[in-house]
Amino acid sequence: MGRWGDERERRCVALTLHLRTDRPRAKPDKPRDGIKERELSLEGFEVAVVGAGPAGSAAALTLAREGVQVLLVERGTFPGSKNVFGGRIYSYALKRLLGERWKDAPVERFVRKEGITFMTADSSFSVEYESKDPTGSFTSIRSKFDKWLAEEAEKAGASLITDSRVDDLVLERGIVKGIIAGPDKIPTDAVIACDGTTTNLARKAGLASMLEPREVSIGMKDVIELPADKMEERLGLEPEEGAAHVFVGECSGGLRGGGFLYTNKDSLALGMVVGADDISTKKVPSHTLMDRLRNHRKVRRLIRDGKTIEYDAHMIPEAGPKMLTRPYTGGMLVAGDAAGHLLNNGYTFRGVDMAIVSGIAAAQTILEARKRKDYSAQSLQTYERRLREEPALKDMYTFSKVPRYLRNNRLYNVYPELVCNAAEAIYRVDGNRKRKIYKELRTQTKGKVSTISLIRDLLAGARTF
Amino acid sequence: MSEKQEEMSLDKRLALVSFNKDSEPFIVVDTKLCQQCERKPCLYICPAQVYNWQDQLNYNTEGCMETGACLIVCHKIGAKAISWKYPSGGKGVSFRLG
Repeated sequence: MGRWGDERERRCVALTLHLRTDRPRAKPDKPRDGIKERELSLEGFEVAVVGAGPAGSAAALTLAREGVQVLLVERGTFPGSKNVFGGRIYSYALKRLLGERWKDAPVERFVRKEGITFMTADSSFSVEYESKDPTGSFTSIRSKFDKWLAEEAEKAGASLITDSRVDDLVLERGIVKGIIAGPDKIPTDAVIACDGTTTNLARKAGLASMLEPREVSIGMKDVIELPADKMEERLGLEPEEGAAHVFVGECSGGLRGGGFLYTNKDSLALGMVVGADDISTKKVPSHTLMDRLRNHRKVRRLIRDGKTIEYDAHMIPEAGPKMLTRPYTGGMLVAGDAAGHLLNNGYTFRGVDMAIVSGIAAAQTILEARKRKDYSAQSLQTYERRLREEPALKDMYTFSKVPRYLRNNRLYNVYPELVCNAAEAIYRVDGNRKRKIYKELRTQTKGKVSTISLIRDLLAGARTF
Repeated sequence: MSEKQEEMSLDKRLALVSFNKDSEPFIVVDTKLCQQCERKPCLYICPAQVYNWQDQLNYNTEGCMETGACLIVCHKIGAKAISWKYPSGGKGVSFRLG
């Protein structure tokens, strides 16, 4: 511990500089006490939140609102600059965090249409659903959304510093007592780690070991500029309405994964998410899957004449909450991607909403602990109960067997083709004798999948979803 | 309908993303270990193809999108040769439309 001793009183020069020279800040809703002192020194913060993504900003906002002195630390030049997602946010989480003010969020389009396409190389079978109420979710762009949410946290009184990578934790007898960013040591009562899938901090605290390749996916996307009227015409949308679509089959070349398409205001977010284990063992360079998707006839005509304006990539944890031995330790909680708080059940992909809700849960746990003046592991263990009782996060536990089910490669290399071939057989009239549909389906499965496997997959599916 | 979409080469794609080079090396590979690596998963996993093979492993951190996946596959499937951390604060990739 002596190692930290002489640093204890030291001023945090580099970080202080950022606090002073950071871009003009939004005016706080209520005057913040002690702001002058804080601009001179980074001491006196009660809680450090690491990572200004949705989980971090939600946690910082919730704490600041209750008068807690919160420091929100971001490694990018602005919140959102390191973040990538498919494209959609479920509104309920934002309503819970901000009430009516959620409507100020930088929305691209509210999602009216949901769809899924099963595809072979030269055919596709699509199902589409048009919702009566599109306000339930919206597409967005992270450089706008995350920045806006962090500004909301600042308005509530949190202090944001950007361009700062947190390298380590201050540990005293195994209890987290602050963070270390470059040369700067920032002592706090507690830390909330929202540092994403790679979560360095959960590892430093001994809550996580390195993830397995099968527990993560690689997500890639092209953002393709397309005039709004063209996009709406192609996707059958009313002006300003949005769509979300999933592609399964040929686009992933039989690997575990699939494609997605979301509509922004005047661009399409088109991407692939593929299992890291499959890519590595089957030796398919990940970025080549983007061309596979773009060149499928179903996709090609949607993006025709569009101009690709950005290419993004990110890693996605697929293991769920069990990626950590537990999401808390003395002095620290973990939320968002870092804690596996997201859910891909094959037809809905949820990350930002879960991150926000888990950020709120983490903040509430800290608020309780603060009343007790006790940040020990024992005091913070109520976090786990909160997570399990929180209705939105409960879904992670309800669908906890989904990741294992989705590792069944027949879902990607057998069934999409089966669906397409069955449709072909049903709809084709060529003068040859037609058979009843169930007989046609039986014929299609022959040689592709045994009846036992088919029944097993169906039953397991029914139990899993 | 039959026209092929313009192929987007990876170089073309990467040219669309802004990078702020970190002078401090945030990826370091012990390339001697790679000679014995059978599966070389890093060559396939990286969506920016930071890694390539020409008699030995070469890597170019400019273009790194900071997914962190190379570290995982290298240590679990490969030769445990990659050391990886995020670039220093404010450095590395910056997404405008992520």
